[in-house]
Amino acid sequence: MSSTKTSRIGEEIWKTRVDKVNAELVTLTYGTIVAQLCQDYDSNYQDVNKQLDKMGYNIGMRLIEEFLAKSGVGRCANFRETADMIAKVGFKIFLNVTPTVTNWTSDNTQFSLIFEDNPLADFVELPDDGRAQDELWFSNILCGVLRGSLEMVSY
Amino acid sequence: MPTPTFALSTPCFSGHAVRTSVTLTMGVFSLIIINKAGGLIYQREFQSGLRNLSTNDYLVLAGTFHGVHAITRSITPKIPISQPAPSPATSSTGTTAPATSSYSYPNPGVPVSGLDYLETDKFRLTCFQTLTGTKFLLFTDPLTGSVDTIIQKIYELYADYVMKNPFYQIEMPVRCEAFDRHLGAWLRGRA
Amino acid sequence: MSYYFTILSPTDTPLFNIAFGTSKGGGDGIARFRFPETAQYMNQFIIHSSLDILEEAQWTNGGMYLKHIDTYPPAAAYITAFLTPSGARFLLLHQPPHLPSSTSISSGLGSSSLLGTAGSTTRASSSSIAANPTSPQTEEAVRQFMNEVYESYVKTAMSPFYKQGMEIKSPVFRTRVTAAGKKWL
Repeated sequence: MSSTKTSRIGEEIWKTRVDKVNAELVTLTYGTIVAQLCQDYDSNYQDVNKQLDKMGYNIGMRLIEEFLAKSGVGRCANFRETADMIAKVGFKIFLNVTPTVTNWTSDNTQFSLIFEDNPLADFVELPDDGRAQDELWFSNILCGVLRGSLEMVSY
Repeated sequence: MPTPTFALSTPCFSGHAVRTSVTLTMGVFSLIIINKAGGLIYQREFQSGLRNLSTNDYLVLAGTFHGVHAITRSITPKIPISQPAPSPATSSTGTTAPATSSYSYPNPGVPVSGLDYLETDKFRLTCFQTLTGTKFLLFTDPLTGSVDTIIQKIYELYADYVMKNPFYQIEMPVRCEAFDRHLGAWLRGRA
Repeated sequence: MSYYFTILSPTDTPLFNIAFGTSKGGGDGIARFRFPETAQYMNQFIIHSSLDILEEAQWTNGGMYLKHIDTYPPAAAYITAFLTPSGARFLLLHQPPHLPSSTSISSGLGSSSLLGTAGSTTRASSSSIAANPTSPQTEEAVRQFMNEVYESYVKTAMSPFYKQGMEIKSPVFRTRVTAAGKKWL
């Protein structure tokens, strides 16, 4: 499936089939969750990251059905197509952002998603305890979501 | 019971004979959902007068279908074939290769699927398998049209009211009142 | 002109302090108060002493920007206030440079000092801010400054790691306030 066609699918679903919600509601809710986790884990950011990943994983396992039902797309032929689908359809319909797919390794098994803007992290200023900047992966839930949903379609 | 006819086709629903006859009744008899491990997770009848099966029978039915589905998928021929036309008697076609090239392997880009539908004189069983492995089995009147639209809608309702219900445990039996309600309402609205 | 800006929580806890000088009319943006370096606490004294007047003034009109509310003539310190609906107070102390600015001081005795001084400014608006803390131009500039700070304050308060009533340590916020000061004052 061509890249532009994938973008078009994402646009189309975002415009016509997705219920919208106020962005600040999402941002504040998610921010509160992370801040509460930091408090609950006594600023042990490794544990917070782990917990966020777990939450995302559980979301991803469910969200994949929503994605498939809404988009009606079939199985991707290769991993590059999968990356494109994640960036241009998945993130588009759920967060209305389209990260850039880049940094492919030569064996086509790893890539990076670069976010121009991250709706989860608006307003966020990490705690200035000297560790959070390096250790807290604020939007780690997204990694969990990807892990959960890709596992369900057997990657 | 009439002899069932099998048809195998690689992309879902592509093997459907298009029937345009409009049925007066809704024609949806019942729905079964099977999880990816072959367990029955949902079963509901939409018409009275169906022969009652015990819960155990349904579980066996689900498990059996799951096995048959897996077998039909694994017997998809991967050897070159000269006649891609479906042959009901042998139940052995599984390629989407266009008829122009008579010697070709099935398109490796398109994954093989298993049993898509099973038809008798009195009913048709349509199976829709999602990419996550969940199977939706819809029993309809053989004359009911646009079954794939119905199944797609059921899949959406399932995504909305089952998967997005935070208290539903994945792979466990579906006991979501909202799903029942919306499913019933939508099917009634169609009839 | 030198400025001292502070944010007070509804319970009078100082949340944020910054001192800066004017950037208008060739100013270098560095605060030069009349007190020696060792007596900078005087600014805090003066600003906090105007809280009583602020509490009276806040009922006088429905707006968030209360303009010039108080003057401390011995130091030629002028206090301008801005209230947020949530009860935080933004207070700006401005002190003209040490030069014979007799008009401002003589007229600055009461809390309604904007009456006598508005007419005394004839210079360009940029320099009039520096020369006359109670002119309409100054008030407008301070209003713009306060609004901009208020916007940054709301964004900072929305950060999930910021708790209400906590000191604002965010460097981003400090940068934004500095930028707003440079832009308007």
